[in-house]
Amino acid sequence: MAGLTYKKLVCKDLHTYLRSLTPSVLDKLYCHPATCLAVYRDLPELARHYVMRILFVEQAVAQAVVKQWSNTSPEEQVEAAAALMELRVWYEQPLPGGMPGWLLNPTFRKNLSTALLGGGTPWLGTKDLTPDKYAKDIPFLDKYALERWECVLHFMVGSNEGSDGVNKDITDILLHSHLMRVDDGEPSITAEGFQFLLMDTSSQVWFFLLQYLDTVQTRGMDLVECLTFLFQLSFSSLGKDYSAEEMNENQLRFLQHLREFGLVYQRKRKSHRYYPTRLAINIVSGVSKDATGAKLDTHRPGFIVVETNYRVYSYTDSPLQVALLGLFCEMLYRFPNLAVANLTRASVRAAMSRGITAEQILHFLVSHAHPEMLKNNPVLPASITDQIKLWEMERDRIRFTDGVMYNQFLSQADFELLRNYAKDTDVLVWEMPEKRVIIVTKAGHDDVKKFWKRQRAS
Amino acid sequence: MVNVTKGVLVECDPAMKQFLLYLDNKNEFGRKFVLQDLDDTHLFITADIVEILQDRIDELLDQMSFSIAEK
Amino acid sequence: MAGSKRDKKDRDEKKSKKAKHEAEVVEDDDIDDGTEALNSKDVPASAARECTEAAAEDEFGAQDYRKTLELKADHMSRPLWVAPNGHIFLESFSPVYRHAHDFLIAISEPVCRPTNVHEYKLTAYSLYAAVSVGLQTNDIIEYLRRLSKTSLPSGIVEFIKLCTLSYGKVKLVLKHNRYYVESQYPDVLQKLLKDPYIQQARKRELDEEAGNDTLIAGQLSNKSALQLNKPAASTSDGQASASTAENGDNENAKEDVPDDIFELYDKIDKDDDDEDEAELKTVSFEVNQDSIEVLQRRCIELEHPLLAEYDFRNDTLNPDVNLDLKPSTILRPYQEKSLRKMFGNGRARSGVIVLPCGAGKTLVGVTAACTVRKRCICLATSGVAVEQWRSQFKMWSTVDDSLICRFTSDAKDKPMGCAICISTYSMLAHSTKRSWEAEKMMEWLQNQEWGLMVLDEVQTIPAKMFRRVLTTVNAHCKLGLTATLVREDDKIADLNFLIGPKLYEANWMELQNLGYIARVQCAEVWCPMTPEFYGEYLTMKSQRKLLLSAMNPNKFRACQFLIRYHERRNDKVIVFSDNVFALKHYAVKLSKPYLYGPTNQGERLQILQNFQHNPKVNTIFVSKVADTSFDLPEANVLIQISAHGGSRRQEAQRLGRILRAKKGSAAEEYNAYFYSLVSQDTNEMAFSLKRQRFLVNQGYSYKVITKLEGMEKEDLNYRSREEQLTLLHQVLAASDEDAEEERLLGDMPGKSLEDLNYRSREEQLTLLHQVLAASDEDAEEERLLGDMPGKSLSNRRVGSMQSLSGADDAIYMEYSKNKKKSDHVHPLFKKFKKA
Repeated sequence: MAGLTYKKLVCKDLHTYLRSLTPSVLDKLYCHPATCLAVYRDLPELARHYVMRILFVEQAVAQAVVKQWSNTSPEEQVEAAAALMELRVWYEQPLPGGMPGWLLNPTFRKNLSTALLGGGTPWLGTKDLTPDKYAKDIPFLDKYALERWECVLHFMVGSNEGSDGVNKDITDILLHSHLMRVDDGEPSITAEGFQFLLMDTSSQVWFFLLQYLDTVQTRGMDLVECLTFLFQLSFSSLGKDYSAEEMNENQLRFLQHLREFGLVYQRKRKSHRYYPTRLAINIVSGVSKDATGAKLDTHRPGFIVVETNYRVYSYTDSPLQVALLGLFCEMLYRFPNLAVANLTRASVRAAMSRGITAEQILHFLVSHAHPEMLKNNPVLPASITDQIKLWEMERDRIRFTDGVMYNQFLSQADFELLRNYAKDTDVLVWEMPEKRVIIVTKAGHDDVKKFWKRQRAS
Repeated sequence: MVNVTKGVLVECDPAMKQFLLYLDNKNEFGRKFVLQDLDDTHLFITADIVEILQDRIDELLDQMSFSIAEK
Repeated sequence: MAGSKRDKKDRDEKKSKKAKHEAEVVEDDDIDDGTEALNSKDVPASAARECTEAAAEDEFGAQDYRKTLELKADHMSRPLWVAPNGHIFLESFSPVYRHAHDFLIAISEPVCRPTNVHEYKLTAYSLYAAVSVGLQTNDIIEYLRRLSKTSLPSGIVEFIKLCTLSYGKVKLVLKHNRYYVESQYPDVLQKLLKDPYIQQARKRELDEEAGNDTLIAGQLSNKSALQLNKPAASTSDGQASASTAENGDNENAKEDVPDDIFELYDKIDKDDDDEDEAELKTVSFEVNQDSIEVLQRRCIELEHPLLAEYDFRNDTLNPDVNLDLKPSTILRPYQEKSLRKMFGNGRARSGVIVLPCGAGKTLVGVTAACTVRKRCICLATSGVAVEQWRSQFKMWSTVDDSLICRFTSDAKDKPMGCAICISTYSMLAHSTKRSWEAEKMMEWLQNQEWGLMVLDEVQTIPAKMFRRVLTTVNAHCKLGLTATLVREDDKIADLNFLIGPKLYEANWMELQNLGYIARVQCAEVWCPMTPEFYGEYLTMKSQRKLLLSAMNPNKFRACQFLIRYHERRNDKVIVFSDNVFALKHYAVKLSKPYLYGPTNQGERLQILQNFQHNPKVNTIFVSKVADTSFDLPEANVLIQISAHGGSRRQEAQRLGRILRAKKGSAAEEYNAYFYSLVSQDTNEMAFSLKRQRFLVNQGYSYKVITKLEGMEKEDLNYRSREEQLTLLHQVLAASDEDAEEERLLGDMPGKSLEDLNYRSREEQLTLLHQVLAASDEDAEEERLLGDMPGKSLSNRRVGSMQSLSGADDAIYMEYSKNKKKSDHVHPLFKKFKKA
């Protein structure tokens, strides 16, 4: 194949991630109320309804009965039941009479009850905390979290400004996740990395954490322990401090990593208290489908103006934002609070050759559109949207596929025999019965050739 | 009998196909590269030409375009 | 014979040179129809000054001003940024927008004005224009400082001082039939008088001693000379309410405007206020009329170019003309504003007014004539335009028919007792022998002292011709009118120093939003080249390439489809083609009338009249002769099948043919359509983009249509490959001359006037008959509509470009899923609206 194609960066949602874990890990996760509550909140509405109905029923419930509990479509019911199955929230258990039934995972039942009804120990350490003489308010924490997170992004863009403070742990994760790769001894951004940059912050953080969790076991840490702590953090209060006193060594290491990413604030490495930031509190709500509440976005809401004459004005003083715009725009002027740029065919094509798609560019422009732009419908000028798509299509006007051509068949029967074989083995690229031509993939050629020889021999 | 040829299948619009045939006829790269003219939108060509062909197509497309934005 | 051989050789050489040049012309972006650089003596040295300041580049290659400019604490309430290189960015959504806009348009050139952020540029010319309408150096700097979100770049302050300190300070005034050099700055006049040439030009009373340098003291009124009819108080029509809404905006905005901005705006805005009657002190000295040319040149060399002002109220030598606006004639706010700039100080300033086509430039000209009330000469680009000026004079003013005199190759009215003479540039610029009658007329023209000279479509005239006209006819005040002042044009230099500074430039989108000009949807329709045409195209030379692109069967079919579609909506369609072969072929094949260079005046008028009034004639084909000044108020659809290279001016002028505001169509998002048909993968693609630049900078956007919805269901010509091949053979058999585009007056740089003369003789020949035969379909329509011409015109139907191109997202061939619809009722025609 000529012409590079890039794989699209997929960010798993919470459900998909949990589903990929082994049953034993899941069962261990459900040992903590915070995890159960987080999982419960992420379930489809109907599944939540089911869980509530059987939360206090300690035996299996007939599946036929469960069906009666709602008048939603059968598809939705199947979907809800499957979701609960996949996450081991419930499993199939025959009733005494032999009828199929559902039984709620007892660990999940117990800990979700605790989470919903109260009781149990506090989730995060509050022991022995005296008032903090360096107490931090929410605006401070927001600013801190953004700065930390933007350091990571800056580092990826390779921008000279503001990328100090990125340590080896972060670099390792970026390399592990293929967002960057080592070129000439220096980490440099990949096509996936560009796509990552254009995602919104909560998706970025979540994606990054998943990659991080992939590596915790090789670091000698416990996945369940880390996940549980993350879920606990997601239920903490913004602006409140928590104690690190009773955390074990592994947990403290994890805390340090979260501090580097900007998910918690700790005045000093050895401090006995920490403040979760909005990045941590949003990790679960930020990626679930019905996210509500204030989002902390490093791409501060609404600052880009796109004009019909291909001009882009970005009301920002953030070097990162300008660097992101510079991915697909030609930058013209920098004022203290404004960057002026042009969308040109060359600049957009350059972005596309790095694996960025028209859709991602448009998504970025729309999701950061200036309030004046939001008064329009559509938000972006239609001619600009069209043109960016046309530039993308232009790259696709011609397609090259490596292959092997078979032609000059003596009979239609020969042609059809070989064509059918290639089709059945899924190696047929193209055919033209009128001229008796087929083209098979390079990989399939040997097999087709052997088949042909066998046929001729017989 | 059947004839077997290795190469690259080109799929494109009719005008673009004309452009490739034009380059082939003109002997633009010092040799013929079209192995088989299949139909209005398909050609079968030699594999070693693909990269240089891609450059020529980019060149053609560059000529068709013009940056409308004011500097 | 050796002689004739050499002649032939010379001719051949010339020919090949010409051919070469033509090839270049086609590649060219904007062809400056014969503009040669002005004699350097006509332009002060400092006019070429550019504001450039080297700035640091950031890591992305942008000019980085973050370190040099300081953001003000209240930057949110200030509307603009000024870059050290003279570019200014203005937020159109700022509460201070209106204040800033009026100011910027006076001191700088608009670069682009789309929806939210407008860009302007400070140039030597724009600042010259600013001082010439009365703005002062310190006020310009101070107001710009207050409007800016950041500190002002120091280079900009220097630049403004440099460009404004010497300009606009000295005026040449005709008062009581004598010429004076006048200024508000005595030191400047003293400085000028030290120059020996100027000394010589000074006129002294006989008994006055040489060496007596006493200047004459005088006063200058601040009161506008413009007197207009006010719209009736009870107004329900859109215009008046729009203008009151504007004022209302001002009132409301006051609260959000920082005090320092508001104060200064008040002060600067006073120039427009005719209630204020401040008297300014002036000094002057008289000069000899016959030394004026020397004087002007010398002043330019001394960097004090003379501004021409005409104190027409005190001109008793030239008789007043009985000419007034009709009581019913009401000007639109922007027309009034532009004229206030002209007549602001009780006199008439020479200069250029820039208004979009269709926005009523002619009325501005007529009003100027009615204000000056002296003999007036109007120059237009063609015979058709002359007729239109005449009828506009009669429509808006009280002028008696006998006072108007036309001077064209077709119409030569008797000049006796005439007060308004309307002619063409080419008539006046003629250098070769004229008929006896024309010769007498020219003599008369040259012997008159004209009060006002109105120069229509002033941007289209080659500099050489221009100068000839200006030196042939004596006028006290010159008013240039144009729609398309392309910024980078050399013409700006010509206009600035041959006529005067730009007095006013309107914002297209603003006029569109207020309903003064039509709301036009522009579209670029991509027509794939058929394989056969493209195969030939690739092997051909450039002229042939153009012809093959224009004759692409898919383009023909798109054109045919669009004409049908719009005729069914009862629209009026003009199709433009620069290529004559294509023009004739398309028109004949589709049985539509066409006109081009060789079509004589009578026939032109006949075709245009049919187009306007005959319900059978809804589409006409025209060549570039119709680019300018053909006023076709009914036309609302324009299709362009071949054009002149990358000329953005031509694109804008053509758009102008459909810009006249359309009535009763408020419900539609767009009420006029401009299609540019482009053959894909040909040079037309890049040219098309180049052509769009001017309009895109005015805020227009072109929708790309890659597939016309419903086209495959129509029975159109050139469907089969056989038909297409026959057409290809015809195109290949066409002569080289056919392959060229039409050449007209002023197209070729350096073209001699002898050539022009020949052209205009040729124009008088009727070469072709017009195709007026009505089809059955047309006859049917007539029966339906009865005998009321024009009735069908008001019967337009609603349809959007969205519906034409398939749904919004389905413009791409790859994506568009063709939904099956009933064959008879086109979805576009389901909605029906009676205007």
